[in-house]
Amino acid sequence: MLQKPWYKIFVWFISTSFFFIASATLIAIFNPPPSEEQVMQFMMGMMGAMHNSLMGLSMAIEEDRFLNFMLELSSFLITPLIILSILGGFFVRRIRK
Amino acid sequence: MRIKLDFVIHWLWAIAFAILTLSGLAMVGAKYGWILNWDIASADYIHRVAAMFFMILLTISIGQEAVKAVKNDKNKLTWGIIGPKGYGLFNFITSVIFTITGVIIWVGHEYNMASVAFSLYIHEKLTYLVIIGVIWHIYVKAYALIWPEKKKLVNNNE
Repeated sequence: MLQKPWYKIFVWFISTSFFFIASATLIAIFNPPPSEEQVMQFMMGMMGAMHNSLMGLSMAIEEDRFLNFMLELSSFLITPLIILSILGGFFVRRIRK
Repeated sequence: MRIKLDFVIHWLWAIAFAILTLSGLAMVGAKYGWILNWDIASADYIHRVAAMFFMILLTISIGQEAVKAVKNDKNKLTWGIIGPKGYGLFNFITSVIFTITGVIIWVGHEYNMASVAFSLYIHEKLTYLVIIGVIWHIYVKAYALIWPEKKKLVNNNE
């Protein structure tokens, strides 16, 4: 399968897209500072994102009590869970030796 | 031919990564927005959906490695995206940092804008590092891009 044409084309497509991303990043980094028109376009895009996107929705979800409760519970649980899993890992290593 | 889970996850990860990088870069600032024609709303939506997919893939990969560890299986997964050393370790650490900073950015707006700002900074700067990492990975594995030569039929009577 790894030698089939469709797979090779797929790998080429993915690799090319990553090179496109890298070159687009370099072009953007080394461009001169943004013109006023570019700044306006970006700000207008952000304003549209505020209203139409998940970012805008999540800003409106502040009033959702259940979701806030879930977020607080998750935040409360995560640190003990991480510590327990690290301790568990050391315990498994000790048993193996 | 049996298609393995790590092979599928590797390529789904590559696709998700490319989508995340493109949509994320469009949102960085006024110098970058041209990548998606300044459509920040679509970039934001795509980025969040792809990020959830990314986290699911990361969880499956971690689960796969955990099952291997419990079974005491020391064989390295050929297409494993995370691992104990080399690019796999780099991928694991950066993915965890992206996930944590991404979650802070997503939910932190109403709690602590300072942490959101700091997470945005880390999230953005790490992107440049992982893009370099991916280009390096493609260079190391560039043999996969070689097009197979067509085998010439040899006439044995000649």
